[in-house]
Amino acid sequence: MTVGLVVAGHSRPLARAAAALASEMTPGRPVPIEVAAGLDEETFGTDAVAISEAITAADDGDGVVVLMDLGSAVLSAETALELLDEPLRERVLLCPAPLVEGLVAAAVTAGAGGTREEVAAEALAGLAGKEAHFGTAGEEPSRTGEGVSAVVRVVNEHGLHARPAARLVGELRRFDALVELRNENTGSGWVPASSLTRVATLGALRGHELAVRASGRQAQEAVDRFVELAGDAFGETQDHVNHSRPEPTLHRGSPTGNYPADGGSLPKPCGQPENVDNPPTPGRSASTLRAAPSSPGIAIGPAVRLSQPALHIPDEPSMGSEAEQHRLTDALTTARHEIGKLSGDIFEAHLMLLEDADLLDEARAAIDKGTTAPEAWRDTTNRVAAEFDALPDPYLRARADDVRAVSDQVLRALLGVPAATVDGEGILMATDLTPAQAAALDPVRIAGVVLRNGSPTSHAAILLRTRGIPAVIGDIPEGALIALDGSTGDVAVDPAPDVLEDFRSRAERHKKLSDEARTKAAQPAMTRNGVTIHVGANIGSVAEARAAADNGADLAGLVRTEFLFLDRDTAPDADEQEAVYLAIADALGGRRITLRTLDAGSDKPLRYLPAPSEANPFLGVRGIRHSLVHRSMFTEQLRAIVRVARRTPVSVMFPMVTTPDEVVEARRMLDEVGDLPPDLRVGMMVEVPAAALRAADFTPYVDFFSIGTNDLTQYTLAAERGNADLLDLTSGLDPAVEQLIEGVCRAAGPQKTVAVCGELAGDGTVVPRLLAAGVRELSVAPALVPVTKQAVRAT
Amino acid sequence: MDATALSAWIREFADLVARNRDELTALDSAIGDGDHGVNMDRGLTAVVAALDAEPPDTPSALFKKVGMTLISKVGGASGPLYGTAFLRMSAAADSVLDGPGFAKVLRSGLDGVVARGKASPGDKTMVDALTPAVEALETAFAGGADVTAAFQAAADAADQGREATVPLVARKGRASYLGERSAGHADPGATSVTLLMRAAASTLGAAG
Repeated sequence: MTVGLVVAGHSRPLARAAAALASEMTPGRPVPIEVAAGLDEETFGTDAVAISEAITAADDGDGVVVLMDLGSAVLSAETALELLDEPLRERVLLCPAPLVEGLVAAAVTAGAGGTREEVAAEALAGLAGKEAHFGTAGEEPSRTGEGVSAVVRVVNEHGLHARPAARLVGELRRFDALVELRNENTGSGWVPASSLTRVATLGALRGHELAVRASGRQAQEAVDRFVELAGDAFGETQDHVNHSRPEPTLHRGSPTGNYPADGGSLPKPCGQPENVDNPPTPGRSASTLRAAPSSPGIAIGPAVRLSQPALHIPDEPSMGSEAEQHRLTDALTTARHEIGKLSGDIFEAHLMLLEDADLLDEARAAIDKGTTAPEAWRDTTNRVAAEFDALPDPYLRARADDVRAVSDQVLRALLGVPAATVDGEGILMATDLTPAQAAALDPVRIAGVVLRNGSPTSHAAILLRTRGIPAVIGDIPEGALIALDGSTGDVAVDPAPDVLEDFRSRAERHKKLSDEARTKAAQPAMTRNGVTIHVGANIGSVAEARAAADNGADLAGLVRTEFLFLDRDTAPDADEQEAVYLAIADALGGRRITLRTLDAGSDKPLRYLPAPSEANPFLGVRGIRHSLVHRSMFTEQLRAIVRVARRTPVSVMFPMVTTPDEVVEARRMLDEVGDLPPDLRVGMMVEVPAAALRAADFTPYVDFFSIGTNDLTQYTLAAERGNADLLDLTSGLDPAVEQLIEGVCRAAGPQKTVAVCGELAGDGTVVPRLLAAGVRELSVAPALVPVTKQAVRAT
Repeated sequence: MDATALSAWIREFADLVARNRDELTALDSAIGDGDHGVNMDRGLTAVVAALDAEPPDTPSALFKKVGMTLISKVGGASGPLYGTAFLRMSAAADSVLDGPGFAKVLRSGLDGVVARGKASPGDKTMVDALTPAVEALETAFAGGADVTAAFQAAADAADQGREATVPLVARKGRASYLGERSAGHADPGATSVTLLMRAAASTLGAAG
């Protein structure tokens, strides 16, 4: 007796290979194995007719056992039974065994002369070997009985790195539940979601599947929140995931270069310096080295180094666990205080490390066993850093640096060792800087920075750009005098007189331009033929308002109120908003502030207003569309704006307007707030081409138009500005966008102001064209106000 | 309704699927393996070719040819499901169908789908559109409606059934692996059923 076998599946090569593997088991006694899989050699699919034919072919009169892969294979095999004639149909068993293991077991049993029932039973038991090996027989692998669970896919560009991991840990800790995670792709063990270090060791890369399980009172809420967070890339803004809706400026804090302040893509990759003796490049001396440009600006000065007092842990006995626990607690508090003074996302992650339950438990347990606090802390953080070092993904591996940076900070506090200092003034030459070191550099003393390691996207590099300290990255040899150009990457070590002269003249040109701009920053900007153009600043915080005032901004042309609404659990009420808007107006010395109403939507989600997922959030419920849906929140904001407007000059404008109806409705809601001061100016942003084309239809309802060139450009050209491959389309003033701006100015006439807020407004070559079109107000990043005014004066 | 009228229905269905192929695939990409549009289009293209090659002369022969072609050419789960539906319809069909007779035949098809897929209403499958369509057809004919009104009611009911699958979590098929993530998208199988019923309304319904 020989029972025939049929493999029904989606893939012909897979089914053939499984059959070949099974046939190896029965060399002496061939078992008929027929394959019915795939629609052809390449096309995945199952075919009930082919399965019925395979069954017919496999049957020698002793019956057939059919093994299937999944889904439609099962349905097609059942359908195939219907196509068979009565006597044969009775002799067929469809067996739900796992395909490969089942087929091997089935072939062995069929080869040994088993009946079809025995063959099917052996196939079903085919998993026993694997289960015994892993000791999982009889239980659901990786699932607790009473818990709640789910699986999500990681969508973040760089996987679950420090920032999103910190967000995840921070959020899930709030629930009364034991939450654990594992990486389904690497088959990692379960780790507690309360531990940042353990979560990071999951090595979860983009596309990996994370399983979550939870038990406890709020298990369901915790799992739901986790799934929600994952869908939202764990709060990582779209900027970080590379599909940005660009903010109206990228030039924040870097007055001359073309560098994103958030560490996005850079024009040139970091690379080894190349000696460019051959061939000589015009304008660059033979002795100039090339490093990766990292933060624009020119700096010349003596090389100075970081003096880092050694962290030597004395070999001394524990003062007793209670005293040592106190030492650690105090040191953690000190470190937390130091880190808390620094601003930047990365420091949030550092703070989270200091609260990492897993790490702290381990250190404290070691102290209880008689270890001193410094030893316990060092050993624990070394262990954690080593875990990161062992991860395959370079991005996550780099998080070991974060652990070491935080570890050193606490150790310094424990041992009373001062932080690293720079011995002198000039160009800092360092292997790398911790984020805290970069954030603490004094720009008055440190003219520039050369980093031997690191990358232009490192936290240190981002912080240097934000702080306006010129920097390059490359393996530059030691020297006494260094000259560097952070815009081009040129570096000269102990430069010859002519080279030094070249850098000096570059620096002078640069300085002359910016000095001239700076000295005249506070003066009004007037074109050569006597038209005064207001140059304002785009701001998103009280600190930026101060920077705008320092840079001579005539007004705040755009206050992005989102900063008040994002990253919190409830919406700010009118009182809180009023206080912040007033603080901004104060910082600007009472100059007019243009408050843009909340520009939220699913690309900038609010935690307390879960947004539906939209296939294309940039074309979704954003800006005024969002406000007209969430009316009570909108009214609350309008109420705050009106209150502020009674005390200081205020303009209000609505973002993402498409039709006049939206403006009419928003104005009606504004009127309902009541008692509008006569000085309150009401305007709209022109970002949607439809609004630009119909500008004349809007003029009865607005006092001014403010053209958001970043969005108007990307919507007009159907080109996303975050896309590095489309820079040719999206940089500069496209003629189509220029026509739209001209049209808005024509429609606005002399009575209504047209402003431009966006990166283009700060482009010296574009300013004359904007003014020619009829634009009378420009608003740019605070640091760009002086040079923009100069551009106006040159027009 | 004879074989010619029913062939026109099937051809219209094939045409609608071809025109909505990308939408079906997009729906399936959201919650399944992304092949529903391609699979159905391939199967129905083969069906139309088979009808062209040898036009069947009875409804039963027509449905059998449609069913056999679909189970062989579609490749995915909709092959055996639609295929079984048409094979059961073939077994139930008389030589010429009136409205109530067609409703009875379609009910057999639905029973076949349920038996094959073991899906219940609410599982986010084609059953969620086909069940209300069959019920609407039966109710309309029982109430004395003409074929135009009856088929329109069936198409509308299928549409509503499909819409109702949007918030559901899939419990059958590849989409069930996605769990909660399958919510928020219409079921592709239910969507192709709405095309089947729309085709019926515009061909069989118009014939009355």
